[in-house]
Amino acid sequence: MRLVKMIAQVDMDGCIGCKICERICPTLAMEVVEGKAKVNFELCLSCGNCQQRCPEEAIKMVKREKPFTVFVDPEQVDKKEIERICARAKMNPEQLACYCTETRVKEVVAAILLGADTPEKISQKTGIRTGCKVECIQPALRLLEAADIKPERPEGYQWYGRTPTIWDITDEIKELYSGRGFYFDADIELLEKIARQKENHEEGKNE
Amino acid sequence: MNKVLNPIPPRRSQYGVDPGFVKKRMAEYPEMKAIYLRELFPELPQVIFPGENGLDKVRQAVHKELEKVDMSMIGPEDSVNICASHHGFTLVGGEPYAELLKAIKDVIEEKTGTKNIRLRAGVGLRFRETEEYIKSFGLDEYFAGKAKGVAPVDEGIPIETEIGTLYGLKSIYDADWIVHAHNSDVREVHFHRQVDRAVKPFAMSYARIDTRSTYHHNLGPRGANFTARAIFSSDFVQSKFAFTAILEMSPLGIIGVDADNDLYSLNDRITVSGCQNYGKVMTLLGEIDECIVGLDFPCPVPYVFAGGVIYANFVGANVDLFDLDNPLPPYTWYTEAFYDSKGKPLFKETPPPNPAIKMVVHNYAWAGYPSAFFSEHIPTIVVGEKQANLFREDPQNLSYMKHSVFAESLDAAMAFAYRGTGTDKVIVFDGAAGGINVSKSLYELLKVKAPEVKTRVDEKLFSKWLKQRGINPEELNKKNEKCR
Repeated sequence: MRLVKMIAQVDMDGCIGCKICERICPTLAMEVVEGKAKVNFELCLSCGNCQQRCPEEAIKMVKREKPFTVFVDPEQVDKKEIERICARAKMNPEQLACYCTETRVKEVVAAILLGADTPEKISQKTGIRTGCKVECIQPALRLLEAADIKPERPEGYQWYGRTPTIWDITDEIKELYSGRGFYFDADIELLEKIARQKENHEEGKNE
Repeated sequence: MNKVLNPIPPRRSQYGVDPGFVKKRMAEYPEMKAIYLRELFPELPQVIFPGENGLDKVRQAVHKELEKVDMSMIGPEDSVNICASHHGFTLVGGEPYAELLKAIKDVIEEKTGTKNIRLRAGVGLRFRETEEYIKSFGLDEYFAGKAKGVAPVDEGIPIETEIGTLYGLKSIYDADWIVHAHNSDVREVHFHRQVDRAVKPFAMSYARIDTRSTYHHNLGPRGANFTARAIFSSDFVQSKFAFTAILEMSPLGIIGVDADNDLYSLNDRITVSGCQNYGKVMTLLGEIDECIVGLDFPCPVPYVFAGGVIYANFVGANVDLFDLDNPLPPYTWYTEAFYDSKGKPLFKETPPPNPAIKMVVHNYAWAGYPSAFFSEHIPTIVVGEKQANLFREDPQNLSYMKHSVFAESLDAAMAFAYRGTGTDKVIVFDGAAGGINVSKSLYELLKVKAPEVKTRVDEKLFSKWLKQRGINPEELNKKNEKCR
């Protein structure tokens, strides 16, 4: 869930039309038209990426008159389908996918099941990747892959690709480095245990 | 008892409130005293900074260390990127790290003849942070306009590694050679677990978001830092890597400079010194039974310093963070991710955030880092409306104030904290160099506990920590002697 209180505002005199803002916006809310950056009022979730990277410092964040919230209710979709995709991605539906917006994996999967077939569309619907903008691209890509979706990359460099997971570490690498403080097998066991943990809040009934 | 040590002054930054709004520092209260780390652990190494002519000593140490480093691979027409990270600028005021960078540039120029030396300073989650440091420490002028802050959302390049494709920042690698300028401060031991500490920036400040997300979501709490090793060991990075130079840190300050063409050898050395020196301070902080914590330093919430260690370390000090048999620290992003929506851990053995922290008085700390976990789990009072609003409007802290209360002044916050917790033990994370500003009662507790902690670390924990990381200190000493 993401509460959106601000919006990017471009100083047209300062904008040089370099397109950096367009290439890094996680919700595709920026577009350079006739040499000037334009903000899409609906799509801007006020992450501040453009403001932080504009080389001319021509973008600032201002308060919206009417704040709004983006959220996908996981109750809208089949719980079993959420569980199936999460199991394939080796994640727990309840775990966080995005620390800043406190978006849980089940909400991301619900967005995917409701038609979000790229990280950008997931961000537009859930707000994921609009906080720190750094840490949560991989959960989005792993969950899309688990839903058998190969997302199309946007023209910019919002993201490049799904990267290795601990399950991709070969036995040879494990053998080579496990004596150097890398506890791959123990971490696999831990992550799989957490992924399998059922939602159950009664004392003593955790796995 | 000692008079308080001077806290690091507030710094003007877009990520914190204007220094003018910091009306009072926690160290100003008459009940606060300084406990010197050397009183607690006399064996801690001597420092070259802070101290008389400290910056000159840093520069001299850089020159001396770099004498032994091979730079023959760098030709007089070659381009060199000196790669730096924001964390270095948060150490003892930041000037020593800036001096390290300047001195490295000068020595490269002297030894190789090249003038094409650039500074590439990476960040974490505050994308203009190193731009601020570059201006503040005159690095733009020193590097003749060739100093640049780089951020993880900037254009990337694929790097083929032994575990698959990862992504670095294009502008880090856009020179013929790269030099890794770092420090040995233990800092985020909850993330890297003192495994390949010296290598970490290759997966962080020099890396794209795709790679950083790999670290924090894909490789597990004790496998995470392999991301850095995979990138550094890649043919691509090895083809550009010239050498490393670091500030050697201890909780007391800067103890020297280390440099090497072999990053892994240097890494082994700082693994040992980090466990030895920081291990004692962290273990001692774990002995505190109850306290009020003051945040009073120009950095985001988890990164404020006391006794050379960061607040995030103290949040995990109820667990031995160096012990790799502990899978999840009380605070790390994996831990945070594994609390469900009702606030219950999905892994039932998850240790709670340090229960000794009864309340946090947030007098001065920056936004720009997801910190809601701290205020959600630990009662927090934020001082000043400006600061509260800064957090309310920060996209990384949408919920921080939802879980905090707000006080108009530090006096009101402290009165509430004393009444609400019933403890008079206070520890202030204000960056005081050489010691920690604490209340009298906490001073006495730390004095009593330190000797046993020293014995436990020296005789039991230190060897266990090194064994877990595959380091035999005797063999390492022999190897270092040979190099000398």
